[in-house]
Amino acid sequence: MAEKENMSKGSDASTTMFCTSRGAASANGSVETKQCAESNGNKVILDTEPPTIPKRRQELLKWNGWGYKDSKFSLNKDGNVEFTGERYRLSGSVMPLLKDWMKSTVGISLDHKTPSQPEIPAANIPLPVKNDEFVAELRKTGIALSDDCQDRLFRSHGHTLHEIFTLREGMFERIPDLAAWPSCHNDVVKIVELAVKHNVVIIPFGGGTSVTSSLECPAWEKRMILSMDTSQMNHILWLDEKNLTVHVEGGIIGQDLERRLAERGFCTGHEPDSMEFSSLGGWVATRASGMKKNIYGNIEDLLVHVKFVTPRGVMEKSCQVPRMSAGPDIHHVIMGSEGTMGVVTEVTLKIRPLPPCKKYGSIVFPSFENGVNCLRDIAGQRCAPASIRLMDNEQFQFGSVLKPETKSLITSFLDGLKKFYVTKLKGFDPLKLAVATLLFEGTKEEVAALEKRVYEIAAQYGGIPGGADNGERGYMLTFVIAYLRDLAFDYYVVAESFETSVPWDRCLDLCQNVKERLHGECKDRGIQFPPYITCRVTQTYDTGACVYFYFGFNYRGIPNPVQVYEDIEGCARDEMLANGGSISHHHGVGKIRKQWLKKTVGDIGVGTMKAMKAYIDPQNIFANNNLMMGDHSKL
Amino acid sequence: MSEQSRNAWITKDDPKLVSSKHKDNFEDILEDRRHNSDLRYCSRTRDVPSFRLNKKRTPQQVKEHVLKSDRVQYAVEQVCVETQLPRTEVLTQAASIVDEMAHNLRLGAVRGFAYFLMKVLKQLYQRIYVNEEGVEKVRSLIQDYPVLIMPTHRSYMDFLLMSYVFYHYDLPLPVIAAAMDFMGMKFFGWLLRNCGAFYIRRSFGEDSLYWAVFTEYVQTQICNGDTPIEFYVEGTRSRTSKSYTPKFGMLSAALEPYFKSQVSDIMVIPVSISYDRVLEESLYAYELLGVPKPKESTSGLLKARKILEEDFGNIHITFGEPVSIRKFSDGKVDRSMHSLAPRYIVSLTQEEQSLIRTLGYHMVLVHQHNMVISPWSMVAAVLMQSQQGVTVRSLVHEVDWVKRLASNLGAYIDWPVNESAEAIIRHSLALHPNIVSVGSDDVVTLLQVSPPVAHGRSAQQQQIQQFAVMQNAAQHIMLSLYRNQAIHVFLRPAMVSLAINSCKEEELSLDLLYQKYVFLENVLCRDFVFIPGNTRKDFEHTLATLAHIGVVVVEAGAVVVKKSTNKTTAFLSHMFEPFLLGYWLMCQFLLSSRMQVAAKPLARTQKTLTREMQVLAARLIQEETIRHFEILSLDMANNCLHALFHMGGISKEKRDGVTYMYPNVAKLSTITEQLGTYTAVPPLPAVSINLNTKTVTVNAKL
Repeated sequence: MAEKENMSKGSDASTTMFCTSRGAASANGSVETKQCAESNGNKVILDTEPPTIPKRRQELLKWNGWGYKDSKFSLNKDGNVEFTGERYRLSGSVMPLLKDWMKSTVGISLDHKTPSQPEIPAANIPLPVKNDEFVAELRKTGIALSDDCQDRLFRSHGHTLHEIFTLREGMFERIPDLAAWPSCHNDVVKIVELAVKHNVVIIPFGGGTSVTSSLECPAWEKRMILSMDTSQMNHILWLDEKNLTVHVEGGIIGQDLERRLAERGFCTGHEPDSMEFSSLGGWVATRASGMKKNIYGNIEDLLVHVKFVTPRGVMEKSCQVPRMSAGPDIHHVIMGSEGTMGVVTEVTLKIRPLPPCKKYGSIVFPSFENGVNCLRDIAGQRCAPASIRLMDNEQFQFGSVLKPETKSLITSFLDGLKKFYVTKLKGFDPLKLAVATLLFEGTKEEVAALEKRVYEIAAQYGGIPGGADNGERGYMLTFVIAYLRDLAFDYYVVAESFETSVPWDRCLDLCQNVKERLHGECKDRGIQFPPYITCRVTQTYDTGACVYFYFGFNYRGIPNPVQVYEDIEGCARDEMLANGGSISHHHGVGKIRKQWLKKTVGDIGVGTMKAMKAYIDPQNIFANNNLMMGDHSKL
Repeated sequence: MSEQSRNAWITKDDPKLVSSKHKDNFEDILEDRRHNSDLRYCSRTRDVPSFRLNKKRTPQQVKEHVLKSDRVQYAVEQVCVETQLPRTEVLTQAASIVDEMAHNLRLGAVRGFAYFLMKVLKQLYQRIYVNEEGVEKVRSLIQDYPVLIMPTHRSYMDFLLMSYVFYHYDLPLPVIAAAMDFMGMKFFGWLLRNCGAFYIRRSFGEDSLYWAVFTEYVQTQICNGDTPIEFYVEGTRSRTSKSYTPKFGMLSAALEPYFKSQVSDIMVIPVSISYDRVLEESLYAYELLGVPKPKESTSGLLKARKILEEDFGNIHITFGEPVSIRKFSDGKVDRSMHSLAPRYIVSLTQEEQSLIRTLGYHMVLVHQHNMVISPWSMVAAVLMQSQQGVTVRSLVHEVDWVKRLASNLGAYIDWPVNESAEAIIRHSLALHPNIVSVGSDDVVTLLQVSPPVAHGRSAQQQQIQQFAVMQNAAQHIMLSLYRNQAIHVFLRPAMVSLAINSCKEEELSLDLLYQKYVFLENVLCRDFVFIPGNTRKDFEHTLATLAHIGVVVVEAGAVVVKKSTNKTTAFLSHMFEPFLLGYWLMCQFLLSSRMQVAAKPLARTQKTLTREMQVLAARLIQEETIRHFEILSLDMANNCLHALFHMGGISKEKRDGVTYMYPNVAKLSTITEQLGTYTAVPPLPAVSINLNTKTVTVNAKL
C-alpha cells in the first residue's frame, strides 16, 4: 500500500457541475467549478482524458474500505470466498481454500460477524468551521469547491487501520470544512495565498492512500480546514524524448500516468503497490518507492524537477539537469515533507522506453534464511531483476490459498506434480520453505541472460526455479491484500501492514525478532487467538533491504482492538529500531510514527526540519501535524 | 481409624500424615527411583522440548560455526596484525581454543552418567526435593526462549544435581560453563565434557582471541537456543555458604545477544540449591583458614568414597521465577545504540553494563530469597552465640524463637509439621556428628576435627598451626558455614539493630539511623550482597518490617531506643559481631604499622596483610582477648580489605605488576573509630608476633 497526498492544477477540464448532498439532512452542500483561470498560455496539454477518479470519489470508491466499490472479497452462496467485479485477474474467481485458511489461521468464525455501520449520516458529521471572507474570496477565483458532508468525510482520512475502523464503527472528531479542486498550478498558488491571508489551514489530498494517518485533521484545530484535492490536476504537460523526461501535474494517479505514457511508448517505471490510486504529488511528498526500483529507481532517483507551492511562494530550481552541486538539495526538503510545508503541483520525471520483454519468475528456497542470503548475494552482484521479493513461509502458504478454483484437471495435476517435486524429491519442508518472486524487464536477450544468472546464484543457496505463475501470483497478492483486509474486518479481525529498512547483516534477526515480539505482545495482552504474522523482503539494495510485515489478529474478547493493535505495532517498531531497522522505508512518518522521529534523526535533525518549517510556513497553514510538527513523545 | 472418617473422600484421617513424596510445593525425585529399575529409567525414551527457532546442530557444527563467525575471523585478523603471525597459525590457535573449550554433549554418556549418579545420590541423600511448578515453567519457556540457568554454587554437587534434575524431568540437558580445574581430572574431565560441560579459563582479560572464541561459543548457542546454558553468577563455589558478590563476565557474554538484538529475549532462571549438609564442609573450613584446597583429581574423588557411607540429609532445589531480560531492561537501555557498527565489533554501552550488574545482584538476592533454610542452620546460629555449650532443652527453646523470627523476616524454613521441635533439633544434631556432640548431660558441644593431611605444607602454615587455637577454629568455621546459610535473612535487620544498640541516647532519629545503616552497608558490602543504589529502599523496608513485628518502636520520626533494645536486636547484633570485630582488628592492624616507614605507611601485598592479620588474630584468641574464631578466616580478611579500599581507607599501588596496599591513615582512623562504636571492642595489648623471622609489632595505643 501506499503513498499519498498533495495537490496540483488542472487546465481545461471543464469541470462538470454536480449537485450535492445525499441525505436531506445536509442541505448546504454545493460544488462549484470553473475553468482553470487563464489556460496557461505556454503549456501544451498532451491529453484531455478526464481523471480516472471523479471529484465525487465515493461514487467510484468505497467510503469505508479499500479500492473500487465493485471489487471485494465476499462469501458466495456456497459459503466460499469469491472476489467480485471484473477489474482484476482474480475477479470473479472463487477461492475455495481461503475460508478454511481464515478459520484455522486466525480463528475466524463465520458466526461472529462485525459488519460496518451502513453509513455515517450527515447529522453525525461535524458542522464545518467557516471563514466567510476566505470562502467569499475563494469563490471569486472560480475554483471548484464543495462543503458536501460526504465529500468532506472522504478527504478526512487515509487507510490506516484506525481510520478505517473509525469509518466502520464511529466518526472522526474533526474533518475538513471545505474541499477544493484546483485545476492547475496557478489555482493552487491562489488558494495558498488566500489561505495565508485569511489564516486557513490547508491539508493537501492526492490519492488518499496514506497509511500513516497523515490526512487526519488535528482534533484541536479551530481554524477552517481546506482539503486541497489535486485529483483534477492530472495532465501530462509535455514529454521530451531527447532528454527522456516528462512534465506532469502532481495530481495524476499512477495507473493513469503509466497508461498514458505507454501510449507513447514510455514508462516511468515507478510502481508502488498503491499505484492504482496514489498520486504523483503524494509520491514526492512521502518519498515513495516503487516495486521496480532496481531498474528505474525510487522517487528520489526519478525526480528531475518539482514545483512546490508554499506559503512563502513557489519553491523550485531554475534548471532541470541530471545533477548539480548547489548546496543542500532543495528537492530533498520537498521529498518527504508530508504536506507540512506546501503542495507539489508539477513534476518532471525521468522516463524510459517501454521494455520489450517482461517476464515473471519465482524461486523456491528450503528456508527463509537461504532466501535472504541469496537476495543479498544477488544485490551484492548488482544483478537483481526489476523486482525481487522474498515471501516467508506463512505468506507463501497464504499465497497458495488464494489460488482460484482449478478450472482444469491438467492444472491441478501439474500443481500436484510440482508439489511432489519440491517437497519429496528436493526434500523441502513445506512448513519452512520460502519463495522469491521475480519480475524481469528488458530486451529478450537481457532478460534471458539475467534469468540465467539469477537462477545460477539461487542454486548456490539451494533455490530451485518455481515457475512464472507463482511469481505473478505473488505480485497480484500485494494488490488484492488491501481488499482482503476489509473482509477480515467483517469477522473480528484487525490487520495492518508496516515496513522498515535494515542493513543486510541485521535482516534475518530483525524479521525473526519482530515476529517473536509480536507473538509475545499478543500473548501478554490476552489475545486468545493466534495472530497472523508474516513478512517479506520487498526491496534489495547494496547495503540492505526493505522488509514488509503483515500483522493481524482476531479480537473477539478484546474491548479496544485498535488501541491494542496500535500498542503492539508500537512495540514492533521499537523492536525494529533496536534491530538496526528504520522508522520507515517508504510509508513515511505521518502522525503514527512521530514518536520515533527524534530518535531517528536526532535533536538537531528535528530542529533543522522545524526551522525549515518555521521559515517556509510561519503561520502553520499546512497544519496537518505530521512529521516534525507538534510535540514529540519523550523518546 | 476408618470408622473415624467423617467423610468418604478422606482416605487417611490423620492431620499429621506426611506424604513420602510431596512436601509443600516440593517433590522428592529420589522416591520413585528407590522403587523402580534404575536401568530402565536411564534407558527410557526422553521426549525433550526444544526451542521453536532452533536449527539442529551437533557439537561439532557449533565449533565450526564459531571458527567461521565474523567475530572470530575479525579477532584473528587483529591478532595477525598485532603479532605478525601468519593467519593459518592464528587460526590454528583459535581452533585449539575451541577444542579446549567445547562440550561434546551426547545422550549416551548422559545416560551412563545418570545411572552412576543416581546410585550415588541415593546413597548420599535421603531426599532431593524439587519445586515441580518451577520445573514446568522451565519446560514451557525452553520452547519459546533461549534460557540461562543460574544456580547457586555451594558444592560440586550443584553441577551434577542440575543435570540430573534436567534429566529426570525430560528437559534438554544444559551445557555448563565450568572452570578449567575440572578438565585436569582424567576420567571426569572427559565425562563431564560429554555431559555438557564446557571449560573456561579463569582469567583471560587480555587475550582477545580467547575472548572472541569464548563469546562466540556461548552466544551462538544462545542465539540458536541449542540447549539451556548453565553458569554460576557467583563465579565460583562459595566456601562460606554465603552468597558471593556476582561476577559479570559470563553474564555479559550471555546477555549480549539480547542487547545486540540477535534474539528477541532471553530468560534467566535462578535456581537455589540448599543442602542440609554440604559435602565439602571440612575442606572449606580449612581452605578459609589457609590450608590450600587439594587440586581436584579423580583419585581425590575416589578417596571421598568413604563419604558415601555418611548421611547428608536432604537437598532442596527451588527453580525461581524466570526473569525476562527484555522486561528487566525495558526503558533502561536503548538497543538501537548498536545500529551504527557491526555487532561483533562494538561493545556494550554503559547503561547495558550497569543493567547487567544490577541483574547480577538481583539474581543473587533472588537466590537468597528462594533458599530453603534448614533447622540446622538456625541451630548453628544459636550455637555460634553459645560457645560454652548449651543444653538441648534451652537450645530447642532458642531455636524455636529464631525460627519464628526468621519466618517473620521472610525465610522459608524446612520445618516438618508433624515433628516436635525437639525431635527436629535432635535430628539436626545427629546429622552433623562431625561438628557437634550431645554429651551425657544433654549439653551440646563442638567437636574437634582432625586437619586433612596436606602435602608440602609451607613453613608459614606450620607456624600458624603452632597455635593450638587453629585446631579449634576449624570447628567454629564449619559451624559458621551453616549459620551463613541463613545469615542473609538477618542481615539488614541486624544492621538496623546494631545501629540502635550502639546508640547511647534516648532517641535515635531516622536520619541518623540511616547514616549508620549506610556506613554498615559500606563496611559489609564485600561479605554480603547489596544491590548498588538500593540502600534507601532496603533500609525503609527493613525498618518497616522490624516495626511491624514489634521489634523496633518508632515514634515521631525517631527510634525509641529503650523500647527497641530487646532480645531480638541483641541477638541480631551478636550475630554480626564477629564481622565487625574482625574488621576492627584489621583496621587496628593496618594503622599500627604506619610508623614503619617515616614518610609513608608501609605497603604490603594483600596476601601478606591477611596472613599477618591472621597471626595476630590467632594470638589474641589464644590470649582470650577475643573469642570469635571466625576472624581467623582469610576470606573475611580479604573482604575487609576490599571494603576498606572501596571506602577509601586503604589505597592500592602496583609494584612490579603486583598490587600493594597501604592505609590512608586519616580515613582509616575514622572508620576504625566508627566500627568501634558498634561492638564492644577489647583493649588491645601491645602484641609482637613473629612471622617468617620478621617481627611485627601491633601497637594498640593509637
